[in-house]
Amino acid sequence: MTGSTAELVVPEAIRDEILERARDGRPEEICGILGGEYDPAPDGRSRVRSQYPAENVAETPRTRYRIAPEEQLELFERLEGRGEEIVGFYHSHPRGPPRPSETDAKRATWPDRSYLIVSLEPRAVSAWRWRAGSECDATASRFERERIVRPDRRR
Amino acid sequence: MRVTVDVKGEDTHEIDLESVPTDGDAEPTYQDLLCEIELSPHEVSVLVDGRPVPEDQPVDSAELTVLRLIKGGSPSAGG
Repeated sequence: MTGSTAELVVPEAIRDEILERARDGRPEEICGILGGEYDPAPDGRSRVRSQYPAENVAETPRTRYRIAPEEQLELFERLEGRGEEIVGFYHSHPRGPPRPSETDAKRATWPDRSYLIVSLEPRAVSAWRWRAGSECDATASRFERERIVRPDRRR
Repeated sequence: MRVTVDVKGEDTHEIDLESVPTDGDAEPTYQDLLCEIELSPHEVSVLVDGRPVPEDQPVDSAELTVLRLIKGGSPSAGG
């Protein structure tokens, strides 16, 4: 895991909604999709406009999350219908860590999208971009931390 | 048959099914199509009319949606 100069603009109301879902969903992980303006550049600034809660259909939801493809498609269509792009995804770690786990890294499949992680113990919200390695060097794939900023904050 | 493959959040591909190399099967499967656009069945789901289809089945639809999977998790006893 490394740092980057990418940023994710998250309105406080959306951050609070996700935190509340994470608390209410405990001890299981919760998950969802972030819609808004997507900027894939290494120093890109994506902006979250909406969050779309999804059901966690993982077999062991206390330590895993998975969104069913049918619901995923339905949420993408809703998001696109509102003129938004897929900015990224969120999920909770009820017992930490406040960063992507090894499982997250093994299962990440969306290059350059943001993965927002809500840890409840310790309480922390962090965002990460999944940077996929080349076909020749898949081991170069990694999560890069990005800064979470409020909409009113300038660079 | 010409197949339109919409990879959600990315590009839409137009592929001539006849030009898709097969893995010894008579007809190209969804997996063969994925291979053509350099995606692995381990990272995506293929949907026809909004429903997932088995990747090892022969392609029988002219319009497909491909979704990268959304999954992960926190550390457990097993890691």
